[in-house]
Amino acid sequence: MMNPSKIFENFKNAILTKYGPNPAKMLIYTGVLGWFLSSAAQVVAIIVNDKIPKEQKMFLIPQEIGDGAINVISFFCVTSVIKNFASRLVSSGKLASLKTRQFLTDSGINIKTKNGWKVPKNFDFSKFNIKNMMNFDQIKDDYNSFKNGVDVVAMTIGSILSCNIITPVLRNKYAAKRQQRNLAEMSRISNEKIKYPKGISMDTYIKMTSVKYPSSSGLKI
Amino acid sequence: MASISSIRNFSLSRTYDKISRKVSRVVLNNIGSREKLPTISNPKNLRIIDWIGKKLSSAENRLILGASALLSQPFIDASNKNVDNETRHYSICRTIAKIIAGTLTGYSIRKLCIKSVDAFTKYAHEIKPDARFKKLRTFLTPTLKCTADELQQYKNTMGTIAALGVMIFSNFLIDAPLTKGLTNWFTKLGGVRNDESK
Repeated sequence: MMNPSKIFENFKNAILTKYGPNPAKMLIYTGVLGWFLSSAAQVVAIIVNDKIPKEQKMFLIPQEIGDGAINVISFFCVTSVIKNFASRLVSSGKLASLKTRQFLTDSGINIKTKNGWKVPKNFDFSKFNIKNMMNFDQIKDDYNSFKNGVDVVAMTIGSILSCNIITPVLRNKYAAKRQQRNLAEMSRISNEKIKYPKGISMDTYIKMTSVKYPSSSGLKI
Repeated sequence: MASISSIRNFSLSRTYDKISRKVSRVVLNNIGSREKLPTISNPKNLRIIDWIGKKLSSAENRLILGASALLSQPFIDASNKNVDNETRHYSICRTIAKIIAGTLTGYSIRKLCIKSVDAFTKYAHEIKPDARFKKLRTFLTPTLKCTADELQQYKNTMGTIAALGVMIFSNFLIDAPLTKGLTNWFTKLGGVRNDESK
């Protein structure tokens, strides 16, 4: 059996090697976990808030569940894709710092022109990775610091897009649908429970109650 | 059964890899000009990018997300025509309350945890003679060799992991009650009344 202190040491070293050189990756994983925990707490907050009427809770609870689920999905789909794309832009040499660009020019990958830099006609960016170059160590520090910065910027833009624009739009649509369904269900159940007096039909009685208490039978939305 | 599902998973991941490689090839080769490659040459911009990569931890990230959320989410809720006015009011109030409570607690807890991790991730030569809890100061220090930047990212990650642990409790003990209180306060300010009080 492994020693607990050895396990902890391995854990620390694993965190260092996995996230030390790649801070944006850590932000994505911890961000997803953070959203999940936060949504769980918010659902509880709505349930125990007795000042929010039942009809509004029927919108707010699915809104919160939708918020959490869509946040996690869009974080992985949108934020992760944007971050990976930005990362690939840098590693393929399409986007570079001046020092890296000069290094790529010296290595014959880029060609200096009057307007800046270009690549040869048939150059395939998708097959090229600066890290695989023989003399990569020459620009390792400059490349890593530039790539980390671009990754974090892309990750932040992706988070804003997914958490603050895509998620609220989608969760509102989802929650409104849930609220409509729940209210319809509530109305159906309350109608079934009504005991009508002798002499009039159920339909007549429902019509009478809906005139007397309009909000009890009509949907709010 | 196991072999069938593993074959299915294998072919699915192969298809996904194939598609992502194809998309990557098309996008990378066709976005932007091949004749004028984008190059960041301004020293000030390079310094900013470098600073963001090194200094922006999950705490600052949460703050940025919170600030941008305040500028977008209430307006998205306000333009939600799928619900009645009253529900829309509650939704806006709760969204603002949730953003404020979540950002305040999220930022503070992450920042505090990162600071705490920093205090216990020291190398022997960094510990001052008059420091308290001397033995614990190296408790979180990794044994592998690393650069100063990598160590900083390690501290940020460990701090964020610790913050997630703290947030399991704080979300229920601080976030949720604070959101509830702020929601009720904003609702009162906005003049939304319950059905019973009408």
